[in-house]
Amino acid sequence: MKSLLRPFRLYLTQAWLSYNGRLAITSPLGYLASKMGFPFFLMLFFIFMGKFVGFTNPLYIVIGNVLLIPASSSMFGVTNAIGDERGWGTLSYILGSPAPRMPVFMGRAFFYILDGFVTAIIGFAIAAGIFHLDLSRINIAMLVLCIFLVAITSSGLGFLFGSISLVSRDGWIFLNTFLSALYIMVGVNFPVEALPPVFQKVAFGLPLTRGILAARMALQGAGWSSIRQLVLGEVLVGTIYILAGFLCFLLIEKRSMVSGSLDAM
Amino acid sequence: MNNLRWGLLKQQVLVQLRVRTLNLLSLGLFVIQPAVFSAVGMLLSHAAGNATPDLVYSVIGGGIMGMWSGIVFTSTYDITSDRRYGTLELIVGSPTSLATVEAIRTLTNVISGLFSISLAFVAALTIFGYSLNGVNIWGAGISLVLLLFSMWCIGIFLANFLAWSRLSGSFVDYLEMPIAFLCGFMYPIRVLPGWLQILSGALPIRWALQAMNESLLGNHDWSFLVTHWVITVGISLVFIAITRWLQDKVHDSIRVSGELSSI
Repeated sequence: MKSLLRPFRLYLTQAWLSYNGRLAITSPLGYLASKMGFPFFLMLFFIFMGKFVGFTNPLYIVIGNVLLIPASSSMFGVTNAIGDERGWGTLSYILGSPAPRMPVFMGRAFFYILDGFVTAIIGFAIAAGIFHLDLSRINIAMLVLCIFLVAITSSGLGFLFGSISLVSRDGWIFLNTFLSALYIMVGVNFPVEALPPVFQKVAFGLPLTRGILAARMALQGAGWSSIRQLVLGEVLVGTIYILAGFLCFLLIEKRSMVSGSLDAM
Repeated sequence: MNNLRWGLLKQQVLVQLRVRTLNLLSLGLFVIQPAVFSAVGMLLSHAAGNATPDLVYSVIGGGIMGMWSGIVFTSTYDITSDRRYGTLELIVGSPTSLATVEAIRTLTNVISGLFSISLAFVAALTIFGYSLNGVNIWGAGISLVLLLFSMWCIGIFLANFLAWSRLSGSFVDYLEMPIAFLCGFMYPIRVLPGWLQILSGALPIRWALQAMNESLLGNHDWSFLVTHWVITVGISLVFIAITRWLQDKVHDSIRVSGELSSI
């Protein structure tokens, strides 16, 4: 029983250490500014861009950007949590420890997923107040499911970029660039159908696209039967990215054992 | 004395170019980020049913966005990394004032940002067929110079906060979007509600940018442009005066507490 519980305990311990270790020195105001400030002003920027060009549905932008909050929380949080191990010189200790890799690696995401999820819920409440978001037809259970799903699946991208940041000091720059691309690719500011056909195909190969579509439908009152296909597709794509990120980590770890040069790169 | 100043300028610019400008982060800030914002503008326009996007705001505005992001991040990282590497104390202790070093660094960052807007202009001209017919070239040129000047003033103003307190860094970083949103980097200022237009009036970038965009759109009303230029210079000078005052406070605080590395 004890051996069965150990990975679970390790997972939660790692999750808390990683989250607390990164944010303990942040002031409450700084924390709130990072959570809500940037996404809020970015959203306003896109809304006024849309207003200028005659895009008549600002709520489309509002909903898309609120749904991007859990995704960016997961992606940034996980990438930095993994990349910072190298920056702070603790990577060697992790790689040298006998702890199983799966809970150590996956634990990095847990609190960022929760954090992003809660922030998005608050974001929706704020958006409803400021932008008069019509929540009369909302299917709350399905919306909550979709937000949670988006936070989990996007952590797969965090694992991938986190692994990249183990071998490159510029991992977070790649992530930043990629996150910018999400403003275009996953249906945050305008429908995916507005993209050229090739990009539409790429969009559906990324996490978030289906999750965001499903969440938009849940806001219109759609039930499980209507969004099932999108949700299952999102689960599949997200799982692929999470596994790819974990495999990347294992490969990099193996390479570091051979070359002994991970921290020096 | 003149040689000494020229040497300082040259040396600082070279160091700044090597350390801050010629790297992957700058590529992202000056090239990729503007391209992404321009793409969002154009695709929003397409989704709204417009046959062609507005090149001044969607494409050239993207370049302004890149220039601004570059200035915000490079100027703030300068002090943050000095703090991290322990060189901030050495700079403060050197005979050249921190203010002078910061002024030169920010100037380099602003000039580097020109790459972003130049690229946007070239893209507008060559890829999207933007025509210079009817453009008030002189008006646009003078406005651009004043835009750079106002960005430089804001850059040194923001950098100053980071010398004072490391915690301010987290707030300065988040000023990237609010200022872009208030100054109308990718849309005309008239799109904003009235009270936000009044608020944005406190930022010199807004006035210079408005004059530049109007010039690019063919406005030859010199009284409109000159008024905007005068306001730009006036508010920029106010920012410089506040910066000087803050710098004195920072230096006093450092001398009294002797705690530069811990504040």
